[in-house]
Amino acid sequence: MASDEYRGARKWSRNRQAIAIVVWISFLTGAIGTMLFFAFFDPVDLTGIFDPDLEVSRDAGYAAGFFFFWVLAAVSSALTAWLVRTAPKRDAKKQQ
Amino acid sequence: MSNKTTSTPAEVMPVYQSAEKIYPREMAGRYATFSRWSTVVLLGLFYLVPWLQYDDRQAVLFDLPARKFYLLGLTLWPQDFPFLALLLIIAAISLFFFTALLGRVWCGFACPQTVWTEAFIWMEQWTEGTRSQRMKLDKAPMSWNKFRRKFSKQFLWITFSLWTGYTFVGYFTPIREYGVELVNFQVGGWALFWTLFYGFATYGNAGYMREQVCKYMCPYARFQSAMFDRDTLIISYDESRGEPRGSRKRGVDYQARGLGDCIDCTLCVQVCPTGIDIRDGLQYECIACGACVDACNSVMDKMNYPRGLVRYTTEHAVTGEKTRIIRPRVIVYASLLTILVGSLVTAVALRTPVILDVLRDRNALYRELPSDLIENTYTIKLINQSNETREFVLTVDGLPGLELAGIPETILVEGGGVKSIPVRARMPRSEIRGSREIAFKATATDNPDVSRVAESRFVGPIG
Repeated sequence: MASDEYRGARKWSRNRQAIAIVVWISFLTGAIGTMLFFAFFDPVDLTGIFDPDLEVSRDAGYAAGFFFFWVLAAVSSALTAWLVRTAPKRDAKKQQ
Repeated sequence: MSNKTTSTPAEVMPVYQSAEKIYPREMAGRYATFSRWSTVVLLGLFYLVPWLQYDDRQAVLFDLPARKFYLLGLTLWPQDFPFLALLLIIAAISLFFFTALLGRVWCGFACPQTVWTEAFIWMEQWTEGTRSQRMKLDKAPMSWNKFRRKFSKQFLWITFSLWTGYTFVGYFTPIREYGVELVNFQVGGWALFWTLFYGFATYGNAGYMREQVCKYMCPYARFQSAMFDRDTLIISYDESRGEPRGSRKRGVDYQARGLGDCIDCTLCVQVCPTGIDIRDGLQYECIACGACVDACNSVMDKMNYPRGLVRYTTEHAVTGEKTRIIRPRVIVYASLLTILVGSLVTAVALRTPVILDVLRDRNALYRELPSDLIENTYTIKLINQSNETREFVLTVDGLPGLELAGIPETILVEGGGVKSIPVRARMPRSEIRGSREIAFKATATDNPDVSRVAESRFVGPIG
């Protein structure tokens, strides 16, 4: 139990690093996106554009917006990280 | 930087292996004291500020549910967003400025990650004891003592995290009302969700991830070196004085034996929260907390050597050159800061107390009335940015014979309120052809200086 408890403080594996970076950076980007978006749009004004019967409170609107931006940024970050990591290695011989 | 010793400390004494859990050793000293004070003051502010009242309401409240920000006497609305953007830019440039001058003081003493980690380490020390006690406790099999200590730690951590989450939400929703709702189990779902979310993030970040966040996840940690130059304050090991390092008995003439001042006790490594060896030179993992400086100074005192083998200094100072505080980089950051702060203050001071928005009805271009009049309809939005209730008179200007119809003589808007009203403007048909610019004006009845003009268009028949 004790060893599990402290896993977070150990040196991280590459996968763990990648996941942490993707989650955290997309969180920051998502937060900025949410701030910008809702500075100009009130969630209450936006309700009903998808479904006229749908009524969403401001709190729920903010939360939905934030998670939308977070997931969107996470998809972008994850794909970027994955492509960078799986890119074909340059042939060392050709370089010379 | 090269290691001049034949044996690295890790071989001599495997006190630290990067793959293992880091147990930062507690160390008294100047920087530890400074860090303690900075934690107390910054966390104190965080937990206290939402409870401050100003004019019978919360002094600092980013009221998201109501879309209003209260900052002492100032009330900001969504349309004031540029202020917030400017404030964030100012914060970023201040960070650059202080980094260029003082190195990573932000990381070592002010970053929320550092500050909360420090608080969590205190709780760990109260319940589980010192570094060696903690290491022994983790190795020991489960016992009543171990359970009791671990349980107390978790209890403190979780309580503190939940209170942190509650305080955080208290910046965005009135904290007193929210507290009452919490006690009565009447909390709306989202407030509770964000409380738990932030609480959990605090628990994970400060309790477990700690400096790993700085090492692996922080973008600033990676690019801060761009702000560094040879006059920036950094934590530095004086290699010319310390090397060759090696253990020796106290009182031995080590210089005769060809040794430097470093006794290779590895205390500087043991206290490092990111687990680096500062003697290998400046590394991006170093958050400039000064723990190794405190550690080394205590050893130098014991050995009767002068302090400062590891110290806060500049690269220029280490190589015996002069450190320049005022230099182009610093001047550029400082002037940018002055300009931005100046414009923010001016902009806030010149903020108009009333905002008028006019939206033309898009459904109909115009309407012909029987009495040879042309009518356009608009929706006007009147925002009273002041805190007192005001009455406004709405007028329109720009075309001959243009007048408003069917609006009240004065429009009452409460402090911080928004009024949206449909407005009809008419004018004789003979005077209008095509689309023309007109101007609406709202003027406060109590003070003619409080007014705002908004432009729109009036459309008539083309032929």
